[in-house]
Amino acid sequence: MAMRDLVSGGAACAMPGSSSSSSSNPLGALANALIGSSSKTQERLREIPTATATTSDGNLYTGLEQPFAALPGSEFEHTLHPNAQGSEFLQGFRSVDQNRFADAWDDIQRPQIPHYQGMDGLTNLPLEQARLQQGFDGPPQRVLSSFLHSFLHSSHGSIPFRPTSLPVLGLSEGDKQCIRDRSSIMARHFFADKNEDFIHSQVNALLSSLDIDSNNIRARSPIPGRYPELEEYWNESQGLKPGRRGPDGWVSEFTQHRAAHDDPNLWAQSFERQHGASGWASEFEHEQSQLGSIDQMRGSNIANLAAREQTRMLAHTLAQNNDPKFQNSKFLQFVSKMSRGEITIEDNQIKPAAFSAPGDWATEYEQQYSGGQSWANQFANEQANEIALNQSRTSFWSLNSFIVQLSHGPHGWANEFASEREQHGLAENEWVNEFSKLNVNDWSEEFERQVADGTLGDTSADNWANAYDEYLNEQAAVKQHSDTSRGVYEFSDLNPYVGHPNPLKEGQELFRKGLLSEAVLALEAEVLKNPDNAEGWRLLGIAHAENDDDQQAIAAMMRAQEVDPTNLEVLLALGVSHTNELEQAAALKYLYSWLRQHPKYGTIAPPDQPENLYYADVARLFNEAAKLSPDDADVHIVLGVMYNLSREYDKAIEAFQTALKLKPRDYSLWNKLGATQANSVQRLFVAFQALDLKPNYVRAWANMGISYANQGMYEDSIRYYVRALAMNPKADNAWQYLRISLSCASRNDMLDACDSRNLDLLQKEFPL
Amino acid sequence: MAESTTQLKSDALMEQMKLHMSTDAGKQLTKKIGLVYQINIAPKKVGFNEKSFVVDLKKGEVKEGTYEDGKPDATFSFTDEDFMKVATGKMNPQIAFMRGKMKIKGSISAAQKFTPDIFPKPSKM
Repeated sequence: MAMRDLVSGGAACAMPGSSSSSSSNPLGALANALIGSSSKTQERLREIPTATATTSDGNLYTGLEQPFAALPGSEFEHTLHPNAQGSEFLQGFRSVDQNRFADAWDDIQRPQIPHYQGMDGLTNLPLEQARLQQGFDGPPQRVLSSFLHSFLHSSHGSIPFRPTSLPVLGLSEGDKQCIRDRSSIMARHFFADKNEDFIHSQVNALLSSLDIDSNNIRARSPIPGRYPELEEYWNESQGLKPGRRGPDGWVSEFTQHRAAHDDPNLWAQSFERQHGASGWASEFEHEQSQLGSIDQMRGSNIANLAAREQTRMLAHTLAQNNDPKFQNSKFLQFVSKMSRGEITIEDNQIKPAAFSAPGDWATEYEQQYSGGQSWANQFANEQANEIALNQSRTSFWSLNSFIVQLSHGPHGWANEFASEREQHGLAENEWVNEFSKLNVNDWSEEFERQVADGTLGDTSADNWANAYDEYLNEQAAVKQHSDTSRGVYEFSDLNPYVGHPNPLKEGQELFRKGLLSEAVLALEAEVLKNPDNAEGWRLLGIAHAENDDDQQAIAAMMRAQEVDPTNLEVLLALGVSHTNELEQAAALKYLYSWLRQHPKYGTIAPPDQPENLYYADVARLFNEAAKLSPDDADVHIVLGVMYNLSREYDKAIEAFQTALKLKPRDYSLWNKLGATQANSVQRLFVAFQALDLKPNYVRAWANMGISYANQGMYEDSIRYYVRALAMNPKADNAWQYLRISLSCASRNDMLDACDSRNLDLLQKEFPL
Repeated sequence: MAESTTQLKSDALMEQMKLHMSTDAGKQLTKKIGLVYQINIAPKKVGFNEKSFVVDLKKGEVKEGTYEDGKPDATFSFTDEDFMKVATGKMNPQIAFMRGKMKIKGSISAAQKFTPDIFPKPSKM
């Protein structure tokens, strides 16, 4: 959701299928503010129903004049106060109707708020005022533009906008209609946190100043007559959620409905149909090159204000995202800073300055624009599941670019707007249309497709980014571990037992005490010293197996087997470890070797080893052996392992139980039984005997964790994994399983601890 | 009963998965995910000598063969080794995908729910 807000512009963003898809991003907002605006009462309209663009008639404004000096506290006081150059011009239009407007003003004046506080850091207030003041005289376009900028300003700090008198602008009926519609929509976005009455008074003030009939504002929804398409789309969009048709509902409804939002293109399309599309981009470039510096100063201030308003909404929306990771993200901090006006963005660089050259912006904009397009294309590709990670990275950067674009947009737009006005009058409608279509809809549409599923929600970008980091880490790790996977023993670094006079004895001692990890080190020292010591390798292998590391166990046992190919314990251990690793063929090979090497049963096996072993043959031989000597625990053990291999768990359990009667104190046998039972019906692993006999039996602890996890009891499984890992921090399987359990138990907060293998923290958090 | 010419580790895991589906935890999966996955496992190279499994988390079934009641929500192709890595949490599915070790067909949202916790972990002897 948050991501979409970024796209479509925050708390009160894009609306389904109707007119204001762009209205809450600064570009659109400014566009709306400048184009969509204007003035007056029904009465006025009736008087001059066919006013056309470019008609100038100063008399129209006589009825709208303001009591300038009487209204302190408004930001417009400064702009309208007759204290500077241009004031005479304004004074010339004083109204006979003064009292009426004064009353109206008093009405809306009540929720007065000290204006402009906290904004000084960014906008140079006196400069701004002077500029606006100048703006109010001069050609009608300029006046309108300044006036609308003022309206825009009134949204910051919630200052009531006050009606004001303007020279005749000569707006056509169509212009007025357009201004009225746009401003009423936009006002809802500006004042999303205000009540309807406030919004209405704001809009009414604006419209009356501009001599526009405001009677339609409350029932804004169906605009009678002139805009059938818009009306249609409006109805369509309203139909999305029947039962809340009133205009009062739509802002909040819209806010709730952003996710389900239907088709932002409709608006753009309908608009296009009315005004015609044009080669906006080239036109824009053209305009830009001709642009004088007249409007630059004002434009950039406006741009920053608009951008800040936008980022404020963004920051608000983002702040609602509960993901703690996101909350702490630099991006959010960046956005909030920007929204507080602590930083601004200029030419892609973050700095506290307020102005930038429009020419730079133009080129940059073009880059942004083409970048956006290719980005959109890439996004479309993601549907085909290609380069998914890059996608999310790209999207993030596009997001940043988009922000940059947002902050630049209004600036450039204002400049462009002003210059275009000079040349083309009111033709800029097309520009806005094009702009919003190109930059907002494409982007949001693509993004929407991404988020629509919900599965790619807020955190998915994080997930993919994390995955990428993991990937990098893993790649580094893989280089180190590349040769350990198959049968190559990996020695520990910094072994304190190297140089020990009798590491084998030490190792056996440690093993007996149950200090498996220490025993491993001592035994490693032994086999480093005496690489042909089969017993050293064998015990090392067993220690690893009990420490829940079958890969190392296999590697050690293979060395032992090289030295002593007939050692039955080694062969059985290899059979078991390969079974654990689900390596059936290898397991079968070693178990068969066990049989062949056994002094008692060797004769059962055919003398020459068959090329391919078949499970059924080997199983038959073991059954024969078991019949031959039913009191040999070992043969039952091997049989149990065999049945595990074929997943005949009941028979395996039976075999192990038989063996346990003969060898009740074999903790590894208890563990084998427990593991088989757990695997057979996925029930809880019970191996308390194993743990009684060997409290540091890491494998048994890990098995407990596994069986809890398989039951879906992830919290419990975590405790057992952590316990196992506390005894052997090198048990990679347990780390992996722990990670799974942590995410399943929604303990993502501990994933970092897991990834950094912070056992202290984990043990504290998950005591057993 | 494996007649043991099949030497895929995945067979063993899928076998466990069958058992898993009959447990409470397995039934939870059908509630939680409710999607049908087809998983193609190749012994050595993706696309060659593949063996297909259907992990039907709608009905709570695991079957050998391809899905025949329409289209699975997502189809994955792995080598045996890589499937085991993913299923046991050794390799993150996203990484597997990025490295080209996992091929996905079908809905990406369905694919995103394919996580290692679906599969039971074998206890070790």
